Amino acid sequence: MTIIVGYQPDKGGRSSLELATLLAQSGRKEPLAVVTVVPQHWSTPSMAKVDGEYADWANQQGKAALATAQAYLAAKHPEVEVSFHQVSGRSIQSALLQACKDLGGDLLVLGSSSDGRVGQVVIGSTAEPLLHSSDVPIAIAPRGYRTGAAGRLTRLTCSFSGTQESKDLLLATAQMSLRVGGRLRIVTFGVRGRTMYPPEVGLRAEDMVLQSWTEQVTADQEQAVELLRGYGLLPEHTTKAIATGASWVDVMDELEWEPGEVLVVGSSPIGPLARVFLGSRAIKIVRYSPVPVVVVPAGIAKEEAADAVEAAAEAGPAQTPPSR
Amino acid sequence: MSSAEASSPSLSAQLWRRKPVNHMTDSGHAGPDLKRTIGTFQLTMFGVGATVGTGIFFVLQEAVPDAGPAVILSFILAGIAAGLSALCYAEMASAIPVSGSTYSYAYAALGELVAMVVAACVLLEYGVSTAAVAVGWSGYLNKLLENLFGAGIPEALSYAPIPHEEDATGFINLPAVILVFLCAMLLIRGASESAKVNAIMVVIKLAVLVMFVVIGLTAFNADNFENFMGAGVAGIGAAAGTIFFSFIGLDAVATAGEEVKNPQKTMPRAILLALAIVTSVYVLVAVAGVGAQPASEFEAPEQQSAGLAVILDNITGSTWAGTVLALGAVISIFSVTLVTLYGQTRILFAMGRDGMLSKRFASVNPRTLTPTFNTIVVAIVVALIAGFVPSGYLWDVISIGTLGAFTVVAIGVIVLRTTEPDMPRGFKVPLYPVTPILTVLVCLWVMYNLPIQTWVYFLIWLAIVLTYYLVWARRHSALNNPDARLPDLPDTMKGH
Repeated sequence: MTIIVGYQPDKGGRSSLELATLLAQSGRKEPLAVVTVVPQHWSTPSMAKVDGEYADWANQQGKAALATAQAYLAAKHPEVEVSFHQVSGRSIQSALLQACKDLGGDLLVLGSSSDGRVGQVVIGSTAEPLLHSSDVPIAIAPRGYRTGAAGRLTRLTCSFSGTQESKDLLLATAQMSLRVGGRLRIVTFGVRGRTMYPPEVGLRAEDMVLQSWTEQVTADQEQAVELLRGYGLLPEHTTKAIATGASWVDVMDELEWEPGEVLVVGSSPIGPLARVFLGSRAIKIVRYSPVPVVVVPAGIAKEEAADAVEAAAEAGPAQTPPSR
Repeated sequence: MSSAEASSPSLSAQLWRRKPVNHMTDSGHAGPDLKRTIGTFQLTMFGVGATVGTGIFFVLQEAVPDAGPAVILSFILAGIAAGLSALCYAEMASAIPVSGSTYSYAYAALGELVAMVVAACVLLEYGVSTAAVAVGWSGYLNKLLENLFGAGIPEALSYAPIPHEEDATGFINLPAVILVFLCAMLLIRGASESAKVNAIMVVIKLAVLVMFVVIGLTAFNADNFENFMGAGVAGIGAAAGTIFFSFIGLDAVATAGEEVKNPQKTMPRAILLALAIVTSVYVLVAVAGVGAQPASEFEAPEQQSAGLAVILDNITGSTWAGTVLALGAVISIFSVTLVTLYGQTRILFAMGRDGMLSKRFASVNPRTLTPTFNTIVVAIVVALIAGFVPSGYLWDVISIGTLGAFTVVAIGVIVLRTTEPDMPRGFKVPLYPVTPILTVLVCLWVMYNLPIQTWVYFLIWLAIVLTYYLVWARRHSALNNPDARLPDLPDTMKGH
């Protein structure tokens, strides 16, 4: 399978190349396909070739972009197997998704938009619609992301909420962790409900709700670990964490993040099943993440989970899988 | 007898066991102690915001027929009872800093049985009052639509089917039902009213009430105050009982105690200030209302659903003033419904955590981080009441429940001072033991004056809740198992 990089030289292009390299070089080596989207020229034939110059210009822009990418990769990551493609389409999103299909890509890597702080995932105008319509997982690099000394995935943090969908995602992530070698961390994020005014039952009623939630999630995580263990899919050194706070900034601040870490988020099951459709919580998790994020469509997570379970059953028939 | 029961503590031990206070404090705290940031002004705003709007938009039509012009005294009397209760409430809240309202204080101070009695009262104070407020909202919404478009919602869909005196009847009070579910939906999504919105709501409520007073006084007729004490002390007392409902919320000031700067000074100041503002506004509204029309007119069926707006229409002879008032009422009562419904869900949440109710009431939906099951159950019950029971049956029941809860709180203050004299208290009632004793006496006197029918409903309700406690809750209390302080999670929330 191939990792597709949506590349634009200025807009977070390097960080997307860096992230793609990190993902391609961890575990089984996978080829990269750097794709740049150029404006579609006017295809109506005309005597005067009114659009000819524009088409030429667009072509040159694309070539220049790919040349930049090539030079960068050759200098920094010469070991990566990479191909370069220039595509056009009605919109950048549809062109990228088409390229994924044509090139057999199973992961689309994008950079962050440049209007945000360095080090944060900033969803740009290209990524935003893709997060609601892509049928392949999407990885987004924070602004200015560089792989650093690690050079490979050190840890996969799976955003786990306790729902059935998030269990699928966890199974898929656990399998990926076993495959590529990064450790697994199960994290649940909880933002305290806002205080209701006037405070008829006290200003701390929401602390009580959060406390109950934390107890629930602790048990859910316990159970999820048991589930993984039962399938023989529990990576070594798996850790669990619950991050709570009054706001998303506080919540993300609760956690330690390492270089080479990637956060895996599932899409909401409310949207079309096979596509990414980020729920309001997932969007927040993505926005406030200090590490690259991989967003997995609920449908794909489900398939992956089923595959993982099947593979585990074949590998170790002695183990009796618990009921799910 | 099952073995589980045989190993459980004796009945009397169960009835009087108290939830350890320190254990309560740590179970409710997620982080370090919050900073004390709330000052007198903001605290007063909480008090006024929580109080005004619960009743004043509806209560004149219920109370004036009982007391006549002396309803003004009833307002003052009810205000005194509420103010005294709020002071006791504040001491209790500062001694036992937990969420869950009076129920939690009673559990810590007076034991499980009393906590259940209080829970029964509090269900009336919050749950039933949400229904009554939603019914009132429906009346003002209808009035607003009529004034704006010339036609409202048909009677069949805007009145409850159960007859009450000469009020109109219908099939269901649909707007009230919709309002309740709308608020429940907002709560499930985790919506809340911020302190800023609360302040805006206070301004809206006070503004329309001041408008009512100003316009009402232009039609002032001193003849309406003749035979001031005509209804006698009994009438005044009965009206005070009904009116008491419009002072619910003053106790909300107390629950913020932990975050109040210099509570010993700020707390009584804010309570008294809020009480002064609320009582003056109410008395002015009553003076303006009674001055504008004879006491007998308050009973007119046309005034039953949007009373204040109808009075304004009658005075001005046009609809603009009534429309403005109805609009203000529709906006502010919406927020009251949201906040009260929220209060009810969180009280049941606390009870679910204590094992007094099914644990499902304390379960949190992992998607929304709100107690979805709890909110839906509360919404259904409240919507049924709002849709099918006329509010005339509800006010007195709410008052008696609230007065009952406040009486217990005042007794709790005395009990805690006796049993735990050294317990740290952020705030102590002034003039102990006069204040709590006086609170108990005033509350009991107001309760005593409520109609016998109300007492019957109240006692039946208490009996139901206590039976439930003896049969079910007593055996499922989290205190049965002191080691496993954290309750087991319901299966449904564990996933599959």
